[in-house]
Amino acid sequence: MARKFGEYIAYRVVLAIFVILGVITVVFFVSRIIPSDPAALWVGAHPTKEAIEKAREELHLNEPVIKQYFYYLSSLLHGDLGVSIRTHNPVTQDLKSAFTATFELILVSEFIAIIIGIILGVYSAVKKDSWLDNLSRILAISGVSLPTFWFGMILQLIFFKYLEILPLAGRVDSVVILEHPLRTITGFYLLDSLITGNFVVFVDALKHIILPAITLAMYPIGLITRQVRSMMIEVLQENYIRTAWAYGIPPKKIYFKYALKNAIAPALITVGLSFAYTLIGAFLVELIFNWPGLGRYAAYSILSMDYPAILGVTIIAAIAYVFINLIVDLIQVYLDPRIEL
Amino acid sequence: MKKVAISIFLMSLVILGVIASGCIGGETTSTVQSSKETPSSTETESQVSNVVIYGYESEMITLDPSIEFSNSIIMLANLYECLVKYTDKGLEPWLATSWEHNENGTEWVFHLRKGVKFHSGNEMTAKDVKWSIERTIRMGMGPAFIWDPIESIEIIDDYTVKFKLKYPANLPLIASSAYGAYIMDSAFLSKIGDDKAITEYLNQGHDAGTGPYAIVKYDPKTEVVFKKFDEYWGGWEKDQFDTAIIKIVPDPALREQMVTSGEVHIAKNLPLDDIPQLQQNPNIVLHEEPSFRVLYGMLNTKKEPLNNKLVRKALSYAVPYKDIVDYVLGGHGYIAKGPIPKGIMGYFEDLPTYTYDIEKAKQLLTEAGYPNGGFKLLLTYTQGDEAEGKVAEVLKAEWQKLGIEVEIRPMNWEQQWALARSDPQNAQDILLFYWWPTYPTPYDYLFNMFHCENETLFNLCYYCNPEFDNLIDQAVVLEASNPQKAEQLYKQAIELLIDDAPAIFFYSPNYIYAVHKSIKGFKAYPAYPEVVFFYELRKI
Repeated sequence: MARKFGEYIAYRVVLAIFVILGVITVVFFVSRIIPSDPAALWVGAHPTKEAIEKAREELHLNEPVIKQYFYYLSSLLHGDLGVSIRTHNPVTQDLKSAFTATFELILVSEFIAIIIGIILGVYSAVKKDSWLDNLSRILAISGVSLPTFWFGMILQLIFFKYLEILPLAGRVDSVVILEHPLRTITGFYLLDSLITGNFVVFVDALKHIILPAITLAMYPIGLITRQVRSMMIEVLQENYIRTAWAYGIPPKKIYFKYALKNAIAPALITVGLSFAYTLIGAFLVELIFNWPGLGRYAAYSILSMDYPAILGVTIIAAIAYVFINLIVDLIQVYLDPRIEL
Repeated sequence: MKKVAISIFLMSLVILGVIASGCIGGETTSTVQSSKETPSSTETESQVSNVVIYGYESEMITLDPSIEFSNSIIMLANLYECLVKYTDKGLEPWLATSWEHNENGTEWVFHLRKGVKFHSGNEMTAKDVKWSIERTIRMGMGPAFIWDPIESIEIIDDYTVKFKLKYPANLPLIASSAYGAYIMDSAFLSKIGDDKAITEYLNQGHDAGTGPYAIVKYDPKTEVVFKKFDEYWGGWEKDQFDTAIIKIVPDPALREQMVTSGEVHIAKNLPLDDIPQLQQNPNIVLHEEPSFRVLYGMLNTKKEPLNNKLVRKALSYAVPYKDIVDYVLGGHGYIAKGPIPKGIMGYFEDLPTYTYDIEKAKQLLTEAGYPNGGFKLLLTYTQGDEAEGKVAEVLKAEWQKLGIEVEIRPMNWEQQWALARSDPQNAQDILLFYWWPTYPTPYDYLFNMFHCENETLFNLCYYCNPEFDNLIDQAVVLEASNPQKAEQLYKQAIELLIDDAPAIFFYSPNYIYAVHKSIKGFKAYPAYPEVVFFYELRKI
């Protein structure tokens, strides 16, 4: 089993490399074939001819596209994603800060989605066709179908404008972070502030993350609730559950300990896949909440045809997808021995 | 089923890794919130009132004054200073207190302000002026061309510096440029390393200027934080701000929310449709400030049918100028009088320009041999620019009356420019774009957009008239030594231009800044576009 497991992972990783290479190739050529002038972007608004010519040379734009492609690949092997044409920053550095911001948001929103999704799913299965079930059905359907940007703005309106309890946007308040400087360790504000014992920043960062995280969680909440509910209904009719009732085990224990265990496996797959969704959903949510993450970065890079940045984002997203899929497959095998590798 | 338990446990561990603590924190949030009236909050309060925040729309690019040629001057103009400042009263002393030139304007002597300290503590002297300008020229990046006239720079003494020019030029005007003219701390920076090493050092979030503020935190995608420089030569008053922040907020609706709620104190480029509503808002004061931007419709003078002057004139008449200013800008701007905006030499109130006259347009078209129009024009504009898009729509509707069909094509600027620089025969017929000067001289507008070019750069109407070129080339060298004569020559050139009609001059928009009621002293300088000079702001 162990050897097979290792072999399987190695196989998947090799496959992933080809997938990612394919993605890079397609995106590289598409973004370079579109008629645009990266040199013009590089030099700013009112350049001279000399400046543009110089930029062409620096960016190797005078050389054939295929040669540029190999330049790109060879620097990629050194872990260098090139320099953003729009911001002149190394893409690797840009992506690092953007990715941690996005990842922090995704993790928090998934956490919210899992907790709420499971609880709602279990109770609506237990109280099938009751008002609770109907309510959670409405919630789940609206979560899946409501436009994220609209929902985010409604939340801002309620919690910032009318109730005045949560901040409007951003990751942390400028003044708070100025007075309580945060030492960067992981790049996750919540984690860093906790490790360094900077509670003021922690509370502030937490307040900032609540609204975008809930907005982003709406979709996975819907998915998980529906999934858990249908599995639970099935499991609750099994004989062993009836036996448990006969033994007089408290209902809560039956639902969450005995029934949920069997119902959760397919739901976990949904959770894994919804991770990939939130990565995309984050694009819109980040714009609304001014979250300095990957989505915002990608949107502006695409608008200005900043191809090193576009490629960088694509590579990160591709790796994330491949990785999440791998994890999901592995968990599935682990949970259900009937599935062959 | 132990496996399930373990994997649930593992799965949640991954997620909990970061947030498990978040949950605990979540519970404490409410307690912190309710006990907000603790001593620490009053302390915060006092500091908060000492911070001013400017909500700005796009990311910062570079902190190197020799390279910066974009929007990062909104930082640089607070960190550094030029020799001369261009205000609505004209050229005023900044780091130089006075200047003089020889008769034909080929030699300039600048007298420097004494007792000016860099943030490092070094004193600013003639050596720094020479070093800074020479570095910018040597690097030859973005704005370096402004110093083209310079032959050599001589240090006369610590506070006097002499420029020898290759040809006469208005050097104080060049020295007031928002781009490429900032004076840097030479003693400090030359210790860092070569030009490239200095750029890298600066871009890590450092500065070496004499400005009233020094940079303390540089996060180009999120925010930039400035602290006041105690030894600033201008001195400090009690009601000025100790800390200034530029916060990057790309979404206009969000910027509007933030400035009305006081999360930021100054915001620009808000949704135009919301302006009337914002005027009623008691929390903010709207400042309408003229800009040096002008919107042009560059007509393809090399391609049928716009290679015919009569057709170009007809189009110029068939533009409802006033309606455009009202509809597109909501009245926040003015109809352009020729190519040069108000506030710069070469703007003439009495210039004969085109006015809306559809009959005249029809007549001209008939004269040109297109009595019922019957041709199709391709118009390009920069994608995402709401105002340009609206202008394009108005033109389409208006020119339909002349029997002219307009195809509107929004493109991103690099693509649009690439098309415009290709063969004019295959390029667009009309291109909408803004021009604003590197430093405020009419020559910047006229040379870049209308001077003959061998290879197209910004002359996107492909206009070439040797007589026009001759006039502006004569005018520019006289700008400093004989301004009256220069102005007269510029006027002749512009009249020629208007008669040839290679471009339609639409409008010059005003910048609208929303300023929170807790701030006063805000003033915008069109020569330093979008810059908020934090030093001038006062608390109320």
